[in-house]
Amino acid sequence: MTSIISIKNLSKTFRGADGVEVHALENISLDIPEGEFVSLIGPSGCGKSTLLRMIADLIQPTGGQLTINGKTPQQARKDREYGFVFQSATLYEWRTVIKNVELPLEIMKHSKDERRARAREMLKLVELGDFEEKYPWQLSGGMQQRVSIARALAFQPRLLLMDEPFGALDEMTRERMNNELLRIWTAMPEMTVVFVTHSISEAVYLSSRVVVMSPRPGRIAEVIDIDLPRPRGSATRDLDQFFHLTSRVRHALRQGVGLGIDE
Amino acid sequence: MAAATERIEPNARAERPPRDSSGMRPLLSSILIIVALCLLWEGLKSFSKSVDYALTVGETTIDLSLFNDTQLPHLGDILGAFSEPSQRNGPPLYAMLLENALYTLWAAVRGFVIGGVIGFALAILFAHSRLLQRGLLPYVVASQTVPILAIAPMVVIWMGRAGALEWSVPIIAAYLTFFPVTIYTLRGLTSIPSTALELMQSYAAGWWDILIKLRLPNALPQIFTALKISATASVVGAIIGELPSGIQTGLGIAILNFSRYYNQSPPRLFATILMAGLLGILFFAVIAGIERLVVRWRAEVAS
Repeated sequence: MTSIISIKNLSKTFRGADGVEVHALENISLDIPEGEFVSLIGPSGCGKSTLLRMIADLIQPTGGQLTINGKTPQQARKDREYGFVFQSATLYEWRTVIKNVELPLEIMKHSKDERRARAREMLKLVELGDFEEKYPWQLSGGMQQRVSIARALAFQPRLLLMDEPFGALDEMTRERMNNELLRIWTAMPEMTVVFVTHSISEAVYLSSRVVVMSPRPGRIAEVIDIDLPRPRGSATRDLDQFFHLTSRVRHALRQGVGLGIDE
Repeated sequence: MAAATERIEPNARAERPPRDSSGMRPLLSSILIIVALCLLWEGLKSFSKSVDYALTVGETTIDLSLFNDTQLPHLGDILGAFSEPSQRNGPPLYAMLLENALYTLWAAVRGFVIGGVIGFALAILFAHSRLLQRGLLPYVVASQTVPILAIAPMVVIWMGRAGALEWSVPIIAAYLTFFPVTIYTLRGLTSIPSTALELMQSYAAGWWDILIKLRLPNALPQIFTALKISATASVVGAIIGELPSGIQTGLGIAILNFSRYYNQSPPRLFATILMAGLLGILFFAVIAGIERLVVRWRAEVAS
């Protein structure tokens, strides 16, 4: 399989206000094949969001190589290769739900009819077809996040980058959103998802691979293949294998933190 | 499946408490406030007829004779003045004031538009160039510390020499109106949540799309705040601008004249001031009405 994201020896150093250098990421190497669902998990400060933002060209790395479809991140961004979902839904409050989904299509100069049709299709996909003309404040948090997923998918990017998209939701809503996301991902077999989270069960439930990261400096502690059968559903969470895999991730996380402290 | 339990009927989720849409309560409370203020006014006046002519509160003594009919005419006399002739054999005061108010309003509106356009253009410029913002913003601020009374005569002289004297009053009004528009619009254009801006970057959107689809709509509530301030300021600017202009019409001129004859007839000056106040409120209300139409997504939220 070909890699859609290829990362080699990537590092990021911030210079703090006091002039002290902070190594947010050090020596990250990772290949993400097309069509995978990869989660980045780790404690706060491990640089998982920073890594995602570097893939999105929202932050620039200070060393190493990073390519998306063989292009530089900047070129990939300009070619609209990815859709980004933030932790907050980041809907524009002055736009109705459907106009929010149409936003990227407007910027990419799609025709009015096409925009409307595509946005409708995406809202149906996230099961919000009846809410087209509502304003964001009229929707619950989970619904808002579904709109933002519809918006990210509206221009059919091959890569979906998600930065703790369900982190602000309650546990029940989060599990529903997980199923929703799996359904969408299954409906688009070529789409690759990179998903940042700090929930172990969420990462295991969704992913084909879990990348466990450790803090100070941020780096990859372990990459764990998740070979749970698909399609996954509520029964998946009751499997021994699920329990076994979450334990493995938890263990890797603990060890990763230990490593960071020892140094 | 997944969303089955979260699926809510589209109209079920207007969970905010229903607002008093009849508008009766605000109307009632504003009437009550007006009545209370009138009672206070007349109450103070009734003291002036009391025997002592002085009220001592702690160490402070208030001379109650201050509230006599020359200093503070009865409200009935002020309202009555509207229907009396403004001068011997002249039209009633209300007709004369309306004519002058319209003249002042027209100058204020022109000043409001000029100031608004300039203020808006400066804000857009400053939002996109940190260099210009750092270089010019201090002078924009400094311009407002120069008293308008000092600037007004100069503007009249300049515009007179340029042969455009009728524009001197609007320009003086514009001097007061551009400032709030610049400051509030600039803040609205630049105070944007970082993710909202990153979203635009992720689409590789150009500065024009970011301006039109993010910065401007984000700034609209603040722009309207500025416009409401500017609307009233433009009336003040127009009235002050009329004073040195040599023009013979306008509320400013009426204020000047009636203050000259104050001792003969105090209510006429009060009536003119009332008119000026109403003019500012009217202009303010028009802008607030437009705001409700434009900023609809907020109108539903705002309480």
